[in-house]
Amino acid sequence: MSKKILIVDDEVDVCEFMQNFFRKRKYEVLICHNGNDALNMFTSNNPDLVLLDIKMEGLDGLQVLELLKKQKSDVKVIMVSGTENSGAVEHAKQLGALDFIHKPLKLEEIEKVVLGILNKP
Amino acid sequence: MESTPNIINGFKLDYKRELERAAKSMILVHKPETLIKLIARIIIQKVHVTHAGILLFDKQKDTYVFTVSKGARGLKIPSGLIRLDKDTPLITFFANNKDRRIPNKGSLTLSYLESLTKNTSLIDLVDKFEKIKLQMQDLEAEACIPTFFQNELIGVLVLGQKATNGDFTQEELDFFQALSSDVAMAIRNAQLFEDLKAYAEKEHQLFLDTVIALSTAIDEKDHYTHGHTQRAIDFSMMIAECLNRKNVSNFDSTFFENLKVASLLHDIGKIGIPEAILNKPGKLTNEEFEIIKQHSTKGAHILEPLKGTLKEAYLGIKHHHERYDGKGYPDGLKGDEIPIIAAIISVSDAFDAMTSDRPYRKALSNKEAVEELRKNIGTQFHPIVVNCLIELLDQGRI
Repeated sequence: MSKKILIVDDEVDVCEFMQNFFRKRKYEVLICHNGNDALNMFTSNNPDLVLLDIKMEGLDGLQVLELLKKQKSDVKVIMVSGTENSGAVEHAKQLGALDFIHKPLKLEEIEKVVLGILNKP
Repeated sequence: MESTPNIINGFKLDYKRELERAAKSMILVHKPETLIKLIARIIIQKVHVTHAGILLFDKQKDTYVFTVSKGARGLKIPSGLIRLDKDTPLITFFANNKDRRIPNKGSLTLSYLESLTKNTSLIDLVDKFEKIKLQMQDLEAEACIPTFFQNELIGVLVLGQKATNGDFTQEELDFFQALSSDVAMAIRNAQLFEDLKAYAEKEHQLFLDTVIALSTAIDEKDHYTHGHTQRAIDFSMMIAECLNRKNVSNFDSTFFENLKVASLLHDIGKIGIPEAILNKPGKLTNEEFEIIKQHSTKGAHILEPLKGTLKEAYLGIKHHHERYDGKGYPDGLKGDEIPIIAAIISVSDAFDAMTSDRPYRKALSNKEAVEELRKNIGTQFHPIVVNCLIELLDQGRI
């Protein structure tokens, strides 16, 4: 059965691009554009991995990460950020994010990171 | 390139004419990003592709960033989301072909890539082509056209499918190729222009900082005027704007620059006056006053080397103590003989001085100070300049 990825980014074009990218690679992909939807979709769909943008209106990525961790302590989350921000990286690590990638994204890298995390037992 | 009109979607497209048009618009644009958007728009409008984007080399990040992507249909990649590093298959393919000896004049289409794959039995090569194909498919690219400048790959045009769904013709690819080398030139020019502008701005800032440093030196020396410079500059600038509004004058940005420098430095000659006289608490003797009066010529002398580039400022500093009735110093100029820049500084300086506290008297109110200026119209001060200041006060802008 194909693995399920939830992509959270407030930019619709970003989500759609990433959705196409992972669908071509035989993943099942869900997308949403804000923190609240992300929490709801996580509960109802139980994805294998979450790609979470940091900067969002309302609940930001780090807050969503914290809430997801409370829901399911071994949730697999990769943070995505548009700016180099070592404070946020540190914070995300403390909260339990498995990796942190910066925009502009290198597609091979993101694929490798996703594959690596999903293949871990 | 042949200029045979080609028919796309029922429109005749004269490539040569379109190229000339594009090149003309590019000359006018100096911002690389605007330029890139312009080119993507030209391609979408003229050739009718689903989307067009540009991977542009980013020097600082040492990578190719998907900078712009436009398209009515098809994929929209937000600017700055994706990057292709130098070691990725697509970029390596173009970078290694910089002598442009590959067919299609360096352009790469999916169909061409497929024919390459079919015609080789080398597994390594097939694998390489497959990887390039995958990268192009991720970008939904039907054709990629490299842009070289001085043998360096500075960008790649990424084009989606043709609206008519067919393959790109050789003529179309030639058009893109020609457009792309124009793009390279234009981007290079734009970058040079930006570099030059940044350099000029830096120099200019250095100059302004130097002027401010000098004016601080005057403040340090002359305790009476300490800290009042900024207000006086603001008054001068507002008066000059008012004169422009009334069509009395037509000052340009150079004049305003000169006015700012002269307002900051009009008392620079005080550097050459003994501090004991400048800061003397009591009344000055005639002899002492004559020495103080020398500060305008001393100031002009200090600014002498800048006379060529800052002529107005020089005149403003030299003549800011002239009087409208000709009884001022150093040259006893009268009425309109006095450079207007000096007349402006004279009024704003006087108003600033009157409305500031001095060790030997309290500040006058705006109303009292205006009355004083009004009394001296035509004798000490230029009438129109004073009227501007009064108008600004009435409007509550001062």
